[in-house]
Amino acid sequence: MRLSIDVGGTFTDLVMDRGGVLSMYKAATTYPDPVDGILDAVAVAAEQTGGTVAGLLAETDLLFHSTTRAINAVVTGRTARTALLVSAGHPDILVIREGGRTDPFNYQIPYPPPYIPRSLTFEVPGRIWADGREMAPFEEATVLEIITAMRAAGVEAVAVSLIWSIVNPAHELAVGRLIEAHLPGVPYTLSHQLNPTVREYRRTSSAAIDASLKPIMQGYMHALKTRLGEAGLKGRIFAVTSQGGLVDVDDLSERPILALNSGPSMAPVAGRYFSAEEGWDAAIVTDAGGTTYDVSLVKDGVIPWTRDTWLGTIYRGHLTGFPSVDVKSIGAGGGSIARVDASGLLHVGPESAGSTPGPVCYGRGGTRPTVTDAAVVLGYIDPGFFLGGRMGLARDAAREVVERDVALPLGLSVEDAALAIIDLATEQMVNAIEDITVKQGIDPTGTAIIGGGGAAGINTVLIARRLRCSTVIVPDVCAALSAAGAMMSELTRDFAVTAIMPTRLFDPARAQAIVADLTAKAEAFFAAAGADAFDKRIDLAIEGRYPSQVWEIEVPFTPADLGAPDAVARLVAAFHARHQDLFSFRDDGDDVEIMGWRAVARCRVAEESRAHLAPQPGGGPKAVHRTMTFRETGPVEAPAFRWDDLDPAEPVVGPAVIESSFTSVVINPGATARKKPSGQLVISL
Amino acid sequence: MTSAPSPAPTVAPARARPDGVRLAIVQKRFEGVTRKMANTLLRTARSGVINTARDFSCALVTADCELLTAADSYPIHVIGGADLMARAMLDMHPDLKPGDAFLHNSPYHGNSHAADHTILVPVFDDDGRHRFTVLAKAHQADCGNSLPTTYMGDARDVYEEGALIFPAVKVQTGYKDIQDIINICMMRIRVPNQWRGDYLATVGAARIGEQEIMRMGRELGWDALTRHAQDWFDLSEQQMIDCIRTIRPGRARATSVHDPLPRTPPEGIPANADVTVDPEAAIITVDMTDNIDCLPVGVNLSHACARTAAIVGVFNSLPTPMQPNAGSLRRIVVHLREGCVVGIPFHPTSTSVATTNLGDRVTNAVQCALAAIDPAIGMAEGGAAIPPSAGVISGVDPRNGHAFVNEVILAGAGGAGTPTQDGWLSLFSMGNAGMPFYDSVEVDEMLHPMMITTRRLVADSEGAGMHRGAPGLLTEYRPVDCDFELGFCSDGTVNPAKGTRGGHDAQPARQWLAADDGTITPLRTSEQIHVRRDQTVVSYATAGGGYGDPATRDPERVASDVREKWITAGRARDVYKVALAPDGTVDAAETARIRAGA
Repeated sequence: MRLSIDVGGTFTDLVMDRGGVLSMYKAATTYPDPVDGILDAVAVAAEQTGGTVAGLLAETDLLFHSTTRAINAVVTGRTARTALLVSAGHPDILVIREGGRTDPFNYQIPYPPPYIPRSLTFEVPGRIWADGREMAPFEEATVLEIITAMRAAGVEAVAVSLIWSIVNPAHELAVGRLIEAHLPGVPYTLSHQLNPTVREYRRTSSAAIDASLKPIMQGYMHALKTRLGEAGLKGRIFAVTSQGGLVDVDDLSERPILALNSGPSMAPVAGRYFSAEEGWDAAIVTDAGGTTYDVSLVKDGVIPWTRDTWLGTIYRGHLTGFPSVDVKSIGAGGGSIARVDASGLLHVGPESAGSTPGPVCYGRGGTRPTVTDAAVVLGYIDPGFFLGGRMGLARDAAREVVERDVALPLGLSVEDAALAIIDLATEQMVNAIEDITVKQGIDPTGTAIIGGGGAAGINTVLIARRLRCSTVIVPDVCAALSAAGAMMSELTRDFAVTAIMPTRLFDPARAQAIVADLTAKAEAFFAAAGADAFDKRIDLAIEGRYPSQVWEIEVPFTPADLGAPDAVARLVAAFHARHQDLFSFRDDGDDVEIMGWRAVARCRVAEESRAHLAPQPGGGPKAVHRTMTFRETGPVEAPAFRWDDLDPAEPVVGPAVIESSFTSVVINPGATARKKPSGQLVISL
Repeated sequence: MTSAPSPAPTVAPARARPDGVRLAIVQKRFEGVTRKMANTLLRTARSGVINTARDFSCALVTADCELLTAADSYPIHVIGGADLMARAMLDMHPDLKPGDAFLHNSPYHGNSHAADHTILVPVFDDDGRHRFTVLAKAHQADCGNSLPTTYMGDARDVYEEGALIFPAVKVQTGYKDIQDIINICMMRIRVPNQWRGDYLATVGAARIGEQEIMRMGRELGWDALTRHAQDWFDLSEQQMIDCIRTIRPGRARATSVHDPLPRTPPEGIPANADVTVDPEAAIITVDMTDNIDCLPVGVNLSHACARTAAIVGVFNSLPTPMQPNAGSLRRIVVHLREGCVVGIPFHPTSTSVATTNLGDRVTNAVQCALAAIDPAIGMAEGGAAIPPSAGVISGVDPRNGHAFVNEVILAGAGGAGTPTQDGWLSLFSMGNAGMPFYDSVEVDEMLHPMMITTRRLVADSEGAGMHRGAPGLLTEYRPVDCDFELGFCSDGTVNPAKGTRGGHDAQPARQWLAADDGTITPLRTSEQIHVRRDQTVVSYATAGGGYGDPATRDPERVASDVREKWITAGRARDVYKVALAPDGTVDAAETARIRAGA
């Protein structure tokens, strides 16, 4: 049996996989110790399945865990007191960053403070140059003075990031040895080990974030293992990572930066599974929650990564610089608030009512209309069947605020105002999708879109039409897409090395040696994964660019390519093709500069779950009719079907709604939905 | 003569209530078009100045050449020039066809300066009617100047400047390159392959904009798009009217002085801005006509830059941030004079450095004049652009024997204090508004035979104030295993950024060469020099000016600046009149005593 636990800010979700059938449970997240909430969720599962906590845990072979603890610590500034050691002459790497600014005419926005203050930043003598040469010597005595100063300052973690340590790590390693010797027990991160990439700001930022998380995440992972062990867990615990994979919890303690954004990175893992079930190898994966709308992609069966992940606002937050699943997140969701400004322009979000107080229709103190309120006004959500009837919704209150805040100021009927709210939210979501698809070179036309998240059903059909997608897939586990993704993900670790090699000066022996070294590291990782690991794969890629471009693109290759007599021609051809694919042009006449080499090692520790819920039919009438409003039809009597009771042989033709305990999926006029025998909805537009 | 947008009505015409839903949605789509263009250009360009520094902009104008959106663009690039460029294209090519594209860099026909190559693509509906024009503009690493730099500050005229000038020259027909034009560029632009790569990327971005608008037109209807533009302009104008009505009425002159260059007046080049705020008419007027004539140097402003720099000064100063477009611009009147150094230059006046130096002086003068009119608006002077830390280096890389020319953007000016906030550290220049990316030390060392030994902020260099300017940055770099050329045209060495409303002036820029044997070679504001392998370029970029009396600054902010080593404790006491306890916290009683006695 397998458990997947997702500790969120408000709720702790538990997905249980027993013999290939999934079930979901929830408990409140507890503070300060989230392990209490995890055990509460296990207790709920035990109670509903007629077992005990100890019994369930004893039965568990594998436990997958994800948490927002790391990201929350960064956002709230509750990380360890961390010092930064940088090359002499460059103390302001985190202050100056890479420049960049939005809102050019708004000088009311303050300049952002660095991730680690200047008062805890120290300069290490010594300088390596781009070719690895030592241009200025390392001075141990100065580092010893710095260590004394750090001790006096009560430093709890240290990040070390020296210029060109990726080419020659001697000075960084020397600093590491001195910290080990003179600050025993204080965790530290060396930039070239954590994130071997060119660009000192990105590498320094990842090292700083990683080091600052070490004390709390090491403490937390230790507590998690110990307490679950005491409660009866015998199986292994794996942590979900921002790279869309799993690592042993001890590995996460070593590299806690992997825990950032680990939840959202699981959505495309689930999305890839569900799109593959329908025969798609490319898909747009959306996850619509109460406050954020996350978009990620699947392309040729692969989930694209990025190094451009910002924690917080672009240019003003902190760039992780760390390779992770590319997820575009915007402040739009069911809780986004609609308002009309003084000049008569409608806005939806970024202000959000969140889950507390939540939309007005929740009746928990919300006073301003939200997207969810608009959906209630339009009849898309059944006020009596929200969350399977566990929570009644105040439809009249929703109508009142939509009328007051949107309809009257715009001179519209309440229904037209609600449609306007949905349309504008749709446009914002489309914008977010276009941003990431342009970046990753995907044309949404004709692709599939996966609707995940509790709020997805409201407008996924509209979004898909606007983007000219051909199909919408709404999985039955859409409300817990990330937790489901963990069930089907693999043990993953990436290895990288910076080794600059223009293809005109291609050195086959050196290339072979680099790849052999990366492969050896991957094999060691497989060995550490345990005897049960299977389905081991190593994905190789170069990071390259045309001469004088500065942004590299990743181009996959195989060991056979590299072993071939025309190895370099193959790499160059693959690069041109990938560039064409991403940016619609290629420069056949030109060289390629290989900047780095990567190997991503993947293996399974368990068979992929069958990621569908056990249906629970017979919960009520198969269909009820109520008034719904659509752009095309105006108010119309239309059926609302129970998802669990839908017959796969009978397509649902819009206008209609398909409801489950977790979500409400709007089938707009002209669209047709089919429930697949596996449980998911497939909507043709 | 004067150049201004068509006379603005004093009373807004009566009009139907705008459709706030359709406007919001369609405008989001238009902004999505320019964003998509920008993302494409950023990811595909070849030269560092584009893809590392992000020195490019994308905009779209209506068939009538009215600016609809320039989201995420450098202010100086397109706000007051996109319309002029599109107009020049129409005037010179009355027979536009689908598939045409135009290369435009002529500062005498609406472009900013010769180094900014702009691609214009007219967008047609299915009936062959010209509906919109998209523009993608990018600063080139080289534009064929007589010296290997794109900033020819000392050039007497456009001939000495040497740039190839393309006044809206057709470069594609039927979606195919006109090879003759490409061939000319390949023969005259240094690093021609890099230029060609940038050209492909820029045309690619413009074509993506074209495709997106055609898709919108087919989906939403072309007439609806045209109507949207007019409604959006009306709405933006109304927002601007409402904003200007909250400002105090008044009139003020402010002057900001550019450092002297060879052949300029010895006291420098003053930029006088006469600014009038008329809340009743809801108009802000900037009169730049009382200024000296064009000079035989490269810092004269182009028509586009003179107009834009004045407009930027107004937008930076408004109490509520507004978006510039043809609608909001109806409420800003700029008067310029032909043949004026900050006006409309005649050919062959050189405008090689029009986007930064004197343009920033115009912007600064406008901001300070507005600060004098109303204490709730305006801002101090921002620091000056293009110190040696952002100069153009060139030579031959001994690692591969290849020639290189590129602007390294290691550091630029610090931002100015404002009524509400401290200066933005990585401003670079007023016209670029902090949007350029700063180079990675490692990337520059990888691409060029250079070592950057220092890049740090300079404590106590800020213009002190209630809201202080951002400090200056010190950058030091040297050639590795070779010599190289360095070109820069800076400002702020003689005339630092001034404070306003009691705020202090910033530390000036300084630059010199330091040889390993200790010999110091001082450098002027503008130079094209040879840097030997035993020399280090030392460049202090200017800080920003302060806003308001430093003795009124929040003592907690002062304590934080001391703790973070942006200023020293001595300066906290002497200039900000704040006393700190030994643990670094504010000594409230002593601070009150010093401030009372000041």
